[in-house]
Amino acid sequence: MSAQPKPLLAADRVRLYLTLVPYLLEHGQVSLDEAAAEFGVSREEMRSMVEKLTVIGLPGDSGYWQQPQEMFDINWDLLDDEDVIEITNDVALRRVPRFTAREAAALLAGLQMVAAVPAVSDTGLVHGLIAKLSRGAADAPAEVVVAPSAIDEVRTVVARGVQDGVAVSFTYKAPDAEPTTRTVDPVQILITNGQWYLQGWCHLRQAMRTFHLDRVSDPQLTEISITHRGEHVPEAFSAAADDGEVTVRLPERLAPLLSAFFSADGVEALNGTVTAQLHLADPRSIKRLAARFGGALEVVEPGIARTATREWAAAGLALYHQPDGTDAG
Amino acid sequence: MAAGIPAEERLTNLVVALMATEIGLTKQQILDNVSGYRQRADAGARSDALEKMFERDKDELRKLGVPVETIGEATDPNDLREARYRIPQAEYDLPSDIDFTPAELAVLRLAGSVWSAESVSGDAQAGVRKIRALGIDGDEPIIGFAPRITARDAAFAPLQEAIEKSRVVTFDYLKPGEDAARTRRIRPLALVDYEARWHVFGIDVEADGDRTFLLSRIVGAVKITNVSFDPALRDGAGDRALAGLEEVAANNSALLEITPGTEASLRLGRRATPAMQGITVPFVDVHIFADELASYGPEVRVVEPAALRDEVIARLRAVVEANAEVRR
Repeated sequence: MSAQPKPLLAADRVRLYLTLVPYLLEHGQVSLDEAAAEFGVSREEMRSMVEKLTVIGLPGDSGYWQQPQEMFDINWDLLDDEDVIEITNDVALRRVPRFTAREAAALLAGLQMVAAVPAVSDTGLVHGLIAKLSRGAADAPAEVVVAPSAIDEVRTVVARGVQDGVAVSFTYKAPDAEPTTRTVDPVQILITNGQWYLQGWCHLRQAMRTFHLDRVSDPQLTEISITHRGEHVPEAFSAAADDGEVTVRLPERLAPLLSAFFSADGVEALNGTVTAQLHLADPRSIKRLAARFGGALEVVEPGIARTATREWAAAGLALYHQPDGTDAG
Repeated sequence: MAAGIPAEERLTNLVVALMATEIGLTKQQILDNVSGYRQRADAGARSDALEKMFERDKDELRKLGVPVETIGEATDPNDLREARYRIPQAEYDLPSDIDFTPAELAVLRLAGSVWSAESVSGDAQAGVRKIRALGIDGDEPIIGFAPRITARDAAFAPLQEAIEKSRVVTFDYLKPGEDAARTRRIRPLALVDYEARWHVFGIDVEADGDRTFLLSRIVGAVKITNVSFDPALRDGAGDRALAGLEEVAANNSALLEITPGTEASLRLGRRATPAMQGITVPFVDVHIFADELASYGPEVRVVEPAALRDEVIARLRAVVEANAEVRR
């Protein structure tokens, strides 16, 4: 809802009216700002929609215009003077409509996704909600299934820390680095692309950090109350100021896959090939991502990153050479 | 002026008119009396143009989930000249026995926030709004958890529409290792997010069997045909799809040797069971698993199956070639 409101299409406006009218009737007087925020539109859009509600009404009869009581009406003084909406006459649309198949499908899939979140699974509400949404849909929604993810001890402990507002400590093993012991004020658990990340204030680094939970072991709940709860959560894969820059080249059709790993900027497309700049603390660590693309991604610069990538793959390849020198592949 | 009446005003007036009638309104009554049509008719618009407009409006409303009912002539249900149209209140209203507790609303708000795709996210928010319009205020929002679902595959939306309408689709599908895409014709039954990838589960019309396709391997547009199928086929399809994928994973496993203490051992270890020589890890798709294994470079060695091993070797070779030493 914080996103910049976009211009609405006619169908969007109809959909909005069908929910706005029962919402206003239920709430009595509602400020323009509140209604605009609730419906994700600008304040002026909301004002204009409410004003235009007064031209909606029952059909006329054989050439006669409608009577005033057959039209919607609002408290104009209240709207003009105090920016508050109140419907003073309503002719229909009193009841909240059923969910559309799309609305139900979007929420049903979302529910399966959040069912894995301990703060939700603790409530035991998911099952009942699925039944209610299915029954409240106008048409049978397309089945959209989100496979459940396994919850292990690390996830459970870290989630507990988030819910209880206490720091967690654990061993963290970043790729190509020695394990370190961290104590972190957990701010948020990000679950994306099937991976769980803890975002929080790292006592060791004295900064907000993102930790991949697969790299976490020996999690312990501490008794230290967290002091950085309100801290701004950075974009998960955003670059730090002192990061190095790596230039990569890959087919345009594969470029969207990069966003799952890094925020890329300076993206340039030419003849189906994309050149992008990625930011990494150590440019050589691009080797893992590059190898995942199996040669479709070329590391252009810097030279040390390109060399690291080549040597990484070559070392992997060497595992498959037989002792007698013949190639096992 | 007739042209000055915007479409949303005409459509909303149409909804109001069709809800207010018990016996239904004929097309002529609607065109003569409902604001938005009436003014156009008065201004001399051709009646066939107005009728077409009404047909489009009806479709638009149905897309919004508004149940526009057509009551045909009793003697000849196919004769639509005297058909009457109405919106039955009982089918329009959210059933009054469905209500939501503040705690449930809090869970739904989190569920509605997971979509990163704009259109799906808009649908989820619209659904949450309907519940709030019932006068329910949620508990404190659930904070500290940010689950995200991405659905960036272009095939997602048309497949969802085809499932809703129970219509056969065709698309070109590129199986890895094959040079050319092959056209598939399926009855789509469910969309499944498995290991962070979207799959469509359905019945392959030619092969007459259940099949699962990765959305990312669909080439070009998904075409929704006019051929429909029995919606009952959709019942329980999600569970069947999931069970199918899990069975594939259970039957497909790789024997791997990993270097302890590395990224590979951490990431693969979660999914692994120990074996005599190394670890065993289940997988669904040999190509996707090979991509992941290649990223670990020398931290992992595939013992078997040979197909997986060959794929990993081919990737590592391609990486070496793509990043060959540059002579300056």
